[in-house]
Amino acid sequence: MLVVEGVRAGYGRLEILQGVSLTVEPGALVGLIGPNGAGKSTLLKTVFGYLRPGAGQILFEGRPVTGLRPDQARRRGLGYVAQDGGLFAEMTVHDNLVLGGYVLPSRRAVRAAIEAALERFPVLRDRRRQVAGSLSGGEQRILALARALVTRPRLLLVDEPSAALAPGMIDRVYDALVALHRTGLALLIVEQNVEAILGVAGRVFVLDLGRNAFDGTPAELRGSDRVRRLYLGEAVA
Amino acid sequence: MLESLLEFAIQGVVLGGLYALFAVGLSLIFGVLDVINIAHGEFFALGGYLAFAGIVLLRWPAGAGVVAAAIGTGLLGLAVHPLLLGPLRRRLGRRPAGPLYLVLTLGLSTFLQSTLLLAAGGEYLRVPPHVRGVLDLGVTAVAYQRLLVLGAAVLALAALFAFLAHHRQGLAIRAVAQNPDAAQAMGIPLGRVHTLTVALGVGLAGLGGALMAPLFNVYPAVGFPLTIKAFAIVIVGGMGNLAGALLASFVVSLAEAFSVMAIPSEWQNLIAFVVMIAVLLLRPQGLLGRAVVR
Repeated sequence: MLVVEGVRAGYGRLEILQGVSLTVEPGALVGLIGPNGAGKSTLLKTVFGYLRPGAGQILFEGRPVTGLRPDQARRRGLGYVAQDGGLFAEMTVHDNLVLGGYVLPSRRAVRAAIEAALERFPVLRDRRRQVAGSLSGGEQRILALARALVTRPRLLLVDEPSAALAPGMIDRVYDALVALHRTGLALLIVEQNVEAILGVAGRVFVLDLGRNAFDGTPAELRGSDRVRRLYLGEAVA
Repeated sequence: MLESLLEFAIQGVVLGGLYALFAVGLSLIFGVLDVINIAHGEFFALGGYLAFAGIVLLRWPAGAGVVAAAIGTGLLGLAVHPLLLGPLRRRLGRRPAGPLYLVLTLGLSTFLQSTLLLAAGGEYLRVPPHVRGVLDLGVTAVAYQRLLVLGAAVLALAALFAFLAHHRQGLAIRAVAQNPDAAQAMGIPLGRVHTLTVALGVGLAGLGGALMAPLFNVYPAVGFPLTIKAFAIVIVGGMGNLAGALLASFVVSLAEAFSVMAIPSEWQNLIAFVVMIAVLLLRPQGLLGRAVVR
């Protein structure tokens, strides 16, 4: 579904990604982990179009998406949830969801899509008129997910869904992600919380200093002493 | 005494309507694009010239002339982002712009003034009042033309605020102002929103120019003093805050109106800047702006 081949990208003259490759099969849940500064978030931003790669190519469903703007990538079926959620903090939950349906063809379609999102995430229903910035951290993350799903993307890129969340809320967010995955949605999740992602991912890529360092299943990763020691710490069983 | 106060208050409110049309448009452009449009006054002048063309030359009804002038200014404003601001933004990428947008819009201001001078000459053009007569309120009399300016400003700004609150494109404009990256993730095309925003902002200025043409006369530099004052108003209200710009417009206009009780009228134009300095010292984020926590 997603093929990233030999991508080089960065910020100005600072090259972060140095020939990274990655694949996501249809319906898969793929984790992307690695030390700070490895280029995980940079890769997500490059796939979604916030950054233009200097080399390499990115294919989504067999079609090149390299160099597309983020709004164009969205219309192609990619979704993106930023690390901080990317909410419009001064707007209500309802208006955030309406904006999630910006590319839908009619008001009726937007209303139906919002209703479906509220069915899936009922915690948001009572808070429709609440300003998004006043929600708790976990609720904001749930809203960001709900909003990204309004237009039913076929692949959702999620950047550190558990960042700055309490353990109980991390479980709720991951329960939501797993439930979404079960509907057939493909997910590529960047995560610092290694245990959380290893518990749900079918495949894991490890980046280090902008390069591929590992590619395999969580069981294979746990079975590699070298990878565990270098990238996950001895605490991983 | 009370009669004087009432008279000054009425004059201040009427003037506030004009300031609001101008300042809200300027604040809108800054809030969404992060661009200070030095050429805003030239679109005010353009509105006056288009009103002159419609009402005096083509002999349209005043209402049609004013509406056409506002729409015409807005349509011309559609070209500003694609031809000028957009190419610079693409060239800069994520690098900070520094003073480049300021210089660019200064160049646009000079270009527009020169074009108006070339096309229409430097003479002051007279536009007849759209409505004649005065409303006698007992303590004072207010020209219907001035009341028209206030009424049209209220309607236009109410329509703008309703558009921003409820229309899909209005929400998109607010989204881009708050978080451009997140807005793109929703599928909102930044370039199109920026283009629409500039057109709306300068269209408001053009409406102001068309409405005020009978009062100010029409000449190429008519909008420049207003631009300078509008900067002060936008700062007083809170940069990029539309409600703040609206509130500050009336704060400044009323301050100006009441100031003649204490200072010579020639000094009235200083009032906006005195208010600006006072607000910056006491509340740097402006009346309705957000404080930045460090």
